Amino acid sequence: MSALILLTVFGIIVLYLGFANNKTILAPVAITGLLITIFLSIKDWNLGSKYFHDMMIIDNFSIAFNVSMVIITILIFLFGVNYYKRMEHYVAEQYALMIFALTGAFLMTSFSNLIMLFLGIEILSIPLYILAGGKKTSFRSNEASFKYFLLGSFATAFFLFGIALVYGASATFYLPEIKTYIAQFNGQLPPMLMVGLLFILIGVSFKVAVAPFHFWSPDVYEGSPTLVTAFMATVVKTAGFAAFYRLLGMGLLPLPAPLEKTLWVMTMLSLLVGNLAALRQTNFKRLLAYSAIVNTGFMMLAMLSQHDSSASVLLYYTFVYSLATVPLFIIFIYMKRASSGLEELTIFRGLYKQKPWMAVFMTIFLMSLAGLPPTAGFLAKYRVFVLSISRGYLAISIFAIVMAIIGVYYYFYVLREAFSESDNPNPIEISRLNSALIVVCGVAVLLLGLFVWSVPI
Amino acid sequence: MVFLFYMLSAIMIICALLVVFSKNPINNVIYLILCFLAMAGHYILLNAQFLAVVHVIVYTGAIMVLFLFVIMLLNLNKAIILRKSTVTRVSAVITGGIFFLVLLAATRQTFEIHAKYPFASDFGLVSGIGKVLFNEFLLPFEMSSILFISAMVGAMMFGKKDV
Repeated sequence: MSALILLTVFGIIVLYLGFANNKTILAPVAITGLLITIFLSIKDWNLGSKYFHDMMIIDNFSIAFNVSMVIITILIFLFGVNYYKRMEHYVAEQYALMIFALTGAFLMTSFSNLIMLFLGIEILSIPLYILAGGKKTSFRSNEASFKYFLLGSFATAFFLFGIALVYGASATFYLPEIKTYIAQFNGQLPPMLMVGLLFILIGVSFKVAVAPFHFWSPDVYEGSPTLVTAFMATVVKTAGFAAFYRLLGMGLLPLPAPLEKTLWVMTMLSLLVGNLAALRQTNFKRLLAYSAIVNTGFMMLAMLSQHDSSASVLLYYTFVYSLATVPLFIIFIYMKRASSGLEELTIFRGLYKQKPWMAVFMTIFLMSLAGLPPTAGFLAKYRVFVLSISRGYLAISIFAIVMAIIGVYYYFYVLREAFSESDNPNPIEISRLNSALIVVCGVAVLLLGLFVWSVPI
Repeated sequence: MVFLFYMLSAIMIICALLVVFSKNPINNVIYLILCFLAMAGHYILLNAQFLAVVHVIVYTGAIMVLFLFVIMLLNLNKAIILRKSTVTRVSAVITGGIFFLVLLAATRQTFEIHAKYPFASDFGLVSGIGKVLFNEFLLPFEMSSILFISAMVGAMMFGKKDV
């Protein structure tokens, strides 16, 4: 709780520092706040504290996910030092909004009440609608913001309607009570409760962009400023899955058979649709958006194979995925600047010739996303498959493995561009801080792949 | 009470029909406001004071005034009669008819719901809601301030001209 309060306070401090007209102090202050947040979060480890009439339960699960999201946000802020150098206006607001979004993510990992889940999703989403439109002069950015806002509002309406129906049936918002209420029906749920649960699942699925609720994500990822896209693809996805897992584990499991089947179909659809669409992309941001949809499928697989270790596998997967995605977006920002604003895959041409080390690290990140050894991405996918096969979902696991193999094609398509010759290479200028960060991320991805760790959550 | 209920219902139905049938957009919006006011009256009849007040403030006060402003700013206040092709009209009639059938079938299936939980006499009053809001639901109430501050920051970012 103290971590949450401190995070909010730091958000407001950063907002006010905007008056100082000094962009250089923003990132250090924000990062200091995040570091203290990590410290305060870890202090609560193993306490399992409940707050305000059980509105929030901060247990090891929420602390582990919170810390992993804060670490990724620190990475994004460190990259932001360089990214926001060119921006004249509203830099403080951008940092503050990301911190506010993070408070929403904190609520999403520690709710025990549907009201808190709703508030968390909204506090996460509304700053994102604004951040997506951060480039006011770019039509693409405006489009992304507007599209995200409209579709997000629809999803929120569904979600809220679902909560209302569940409340109407069970007369409670508190998840453990909903669980006991559902359990008394033995799988034969009354229609109102069934529709309510379906709507709640639709709302959450939209936020994590599972097919068939994924249509917003490529457009929004493409139009938003790249750093915001990195934030969406990593922190928001992690928060969404933490919330999904908690919602299922705390309240809705065991799901009634029709709903469970729906979720499995959605898992397979995201794997298939994401892969097929990614094969045809020429825009790098859209490619990563579809790759995010495929990875969502794997995360769903880990989440639906209910076991004691599911949470740990999910945490490992989201963290490793985020650790590879953020630096990829940063490398993309530099290539985009060098080629004066293009976003095609061809801008990576000649990367190896100019900056061999960058091309090598890019290989590591792409291999991690594709799930090839010796990177951490391999171990993450391996653990997901072991989990799902051990729970008896053999057919779906084999399908997912085939999909993972197909995925290798388009990741290596990008790599082929990076290692091919370019006719007129543009100079790539990269700051020292960012080079160091890319190296750190690369080494982390390699080291995490060397040994299996699991957090007891 | 019964007389009030029927009067409010009649006002609501007439206003709703006028929303659809009147040609001038400004009149449409004003009839919709009347319709919402009548609905607030229904809430009061149902002993839901708070809901009635919020309904008036949010719907009639904020949303519909916003609607009026948009219509006036975009200069839409002329009566526009759109000519639709026969295909559109026929398909619209068919769709509407099907929806009507569905609703009719749904009303045939209805049954009376008996209250599961005891009805307290202060239910729906402002004081009762205030007590719950500042006791059980204090955390969500406070947390929504973060939501509002980020929305305000966004309004400022989008609304202000870059100097």
